[in-house]
Amino acid sequence: MPVLDEIEAEIPALRRYARALLRDADAADDLVQDCLERAVARRRDWRGEGPLRAWLFRILLNRLRDLQRCAPRPGHLVPVDDLYPEPGQPAAQEDHMALSEVRAAMARLPEDQRRALLLVALEGFSFDEAALALEIPKGTLMSRLARARETLREMTGRTAKTKGIQR
Amino acid sequence: MNDEELLAYHAGALDAAACARVEARLAGDPEARARLADWAAQDAALAQAFGDPASEPVPERLRAVIGEARNSPAPPPAWTFGLSRIAAAVALLALGATGGWLAHGPTTPQPGTSLAQAATTAYRTYVTEVVHPVEVPASDAAHLTSWVSKRLGHPIHAPDFATLGFRLMGGRVLPGEPGTAAQFMYENDLGQRITLYVTQRAQGEDDTAFRFFDQGRESGFWWVDGPFGYALVGDISRDALRKIATAAYEQLI
Repeated sequence: MPVLDEIEAEIPALRRYARALLRDADAADDLVQDCLERAVARRRDWRGEGPLRAWLFRILLNRLRDLQRCAPRPGHLVPVDDLYPEPGQPAAQEDHMALSEVRAAMARLPEDQRRALLLVALEGFSFDEAALALEIPKGTLMSRLARARETLREMTGRTAKTKGIQR
Repeated sequence: MNDEELLAYHAGALDAAACARVEARLAGDPEARARLADWAAQDAALAQAFGDPASEPVPERLRAVIGEARNSPAPPPAWTFGLSRIAAAVALLALGATGGWLAHGPTTPQPGTSLAQAATTAYRTYVTEVVHPVEVPASDAAHLTSWVSKRLGHPIHAPDFATLGFRLMGGRVLPGEPGTAAQFMYENDLGQRITLYVTQRAQGEDDTAFRFFDQGRESGFWWVDGPFGYALVGDISRDALRKIATAAYEQLI
């Protein structure tokens, strides 16, 4: 598949990841747009070493670092539930609770852990891919994942069991 | 059971033999089983909580980035950029400019802000000039290129924005922060003027992608790449500025 097509195919995933990180739909799309412009301008730099999406997400994360260096975002102040309307179909009240709880818990995770966990759990990255995208050794990735999952478990674990997020 | 093993098992990243070993131990480890169950619940909750954007239609402005790229050739690969960076380092050493470079403090707070500010000030000073908007006119392009390159310590040429309707008027050398800066000025058929401000990069500054800035009537994009910081300034739309900045970026790597 031509590189531009491959880049285009990743746009939905980039938007999902950016919005989960930034919790601001417009800012997320701005970030994706900047990422795409950079990727498109430098597409000949990518020589097929590793998966293209790891390269794309790496650009996105670098861009995000630039932005946050400039102006750290008080992310926890954003009303996250405005961004993700609950599904219209009759959802059990418990599920509703669990979803906002999961978003709130994610918002409280340290940034590094959130980035790692979302890559693997939401985007389905392999450990190698995620380590590549985050520019960290695999061991560091694994410990971030373990910590993220454990913290999340402490914050929502009881809820997951008693209120029953179904698997 | 250690986290790494369990994470790999959960991700389906283990081969059959390792998988069987983990499962054998899981049978006698209810705590690990509970953890696995919670992790699966986390995955499902994350997909539910954050999955939406992936199934939404992609906004036109994002498609447009790809669309525009299909109609323009890819810029040259990075190795030329890498070489030019080495050349820059060599040139700076040769010129003895490194001392001046390092003499500045470890980091200037918010370097981009001062870059955008300096570029805007220079823009306001010179675009209003009727008689002497530039010091060296575009008609003397060879001289302009060699003069600016020499003063900035690295080869640089004024990028060409003719396809975007802006033609080069000329340029000048300015005091920069740090060191020396240059300003290239362009004008379109409507008499609108834009400037590209190029300054020696501050020590410790990282490469950046485009950042938008707004200084009242004037706005623009600045970025840091290779040996220079750049700021494109104008009193035109953000979109138009972005296109020109992209063209500059592509020609200057």
